[in-house]
Amino acid sequence: MAVLLRLDLLCGAQGAFLQGRPTPGWTGTQHIHLSPNRHSGSKAASLHWTSERVVNVLLLGLLPAAYLDPCAAMDYSLAAVLTLHSPWGLGQVVTDYVHGDASQKAAKAGLLALSALTFAGLCHFNYRDVGICKAVAMLWKL
Amino acid sequence: VGRHCLRAHLSPQLYVRNAIPMGTTAKEEMERFWNKNTSSNRPVSPHITIYSWSLPMAMSICHRGTGVALSGGVYLFGLSALLLPGNFESYLEFVKSLSLGPSLIHTAKFALVFPLMYHTWNGIRHLMWDLGKGLKITQLYQSGVVVLVLTVLSSLGLAAM
Repeated sequence: MAVLLRLDLLCGAQGAFLQGRPTPGWTGTQHIHLSPNRHSGSKAASLHWTSERVVNVLLLGLLPAAYLDPCAAMDYSLAAVLTLHSPWGLGQVVTDYVHGDASQKAAKAGLLALSALTFAGLCHFNYRDVGICKAVAMLWKL
Repeated sequence: VGRHCLRAHLSPQLYVRNAIPMGTTAKEEMERFWNKNTSSNRPVSPHITIYSWSLPMAMSICHRGTGVALSGGVYLFGLSALLLPGNFESYLEFVKSLSLGPSLIHTAKFALVFPLMYHTWNGIRHLMWDLGKGLKITQLYQSGVVVLVLTVLSSLGLAAM
């Protein structure tokens, strides 16, 4: 369970968290140091954040790659990376706008189910039908 | 004058001196906040109707909007592949049989590619921020304009292909 740590104001934090005490009259950029994540109960959130960025960069690279070299491997990679990026993004939207523990859990469960189905659908399309890359090419030739 | 917290001596295994663990998690506190406020039916102060819109603010919500729209498209496509009969080519043939004018098709291509390009270029801008670059206010506006220009140019280019 994540435990929040609070600065004990009575003791006067000796620069444990926030650093950079500006001298009077100073108007510049203040450097803030946020709590390092060794203070959190688990590294799950931090790992999630990093994974999101990794997937973003992967997806970015896949777009030109899929154009230059359309093939089955590209189709499946696109399907996989897309069905990671979309639900993670939509999950942030749910967290922002859906309030209350029960509704949020229900919304996230629904999102997970839809995402799993979508991934299955995309893989099915790649296997049985023309595949994502070819489909875009065919659509563009209209 | 050195002030030493008693806690530092009592629990040295805590990484940080001068810190006290709290009894509730952030999630619990959010839950309590919303439970209290939704039941009280208090009026909400005007916020998005009165706050002066800025370019970064507008671009941020557009990033979210395009993301949701693009996701909707992907989900629709994936679910259709599972649920609808026939194959992709048959649907394309159907669209061809409608004999839509080339300008309409061109506009449709532009409408498809525009949100994708915006989200992609703005996504790169977001990744730059994650690296800690370009966070000054002037840079925010500059990169924002660059993203908008790139979006229009790349969308026009791709729609013409």
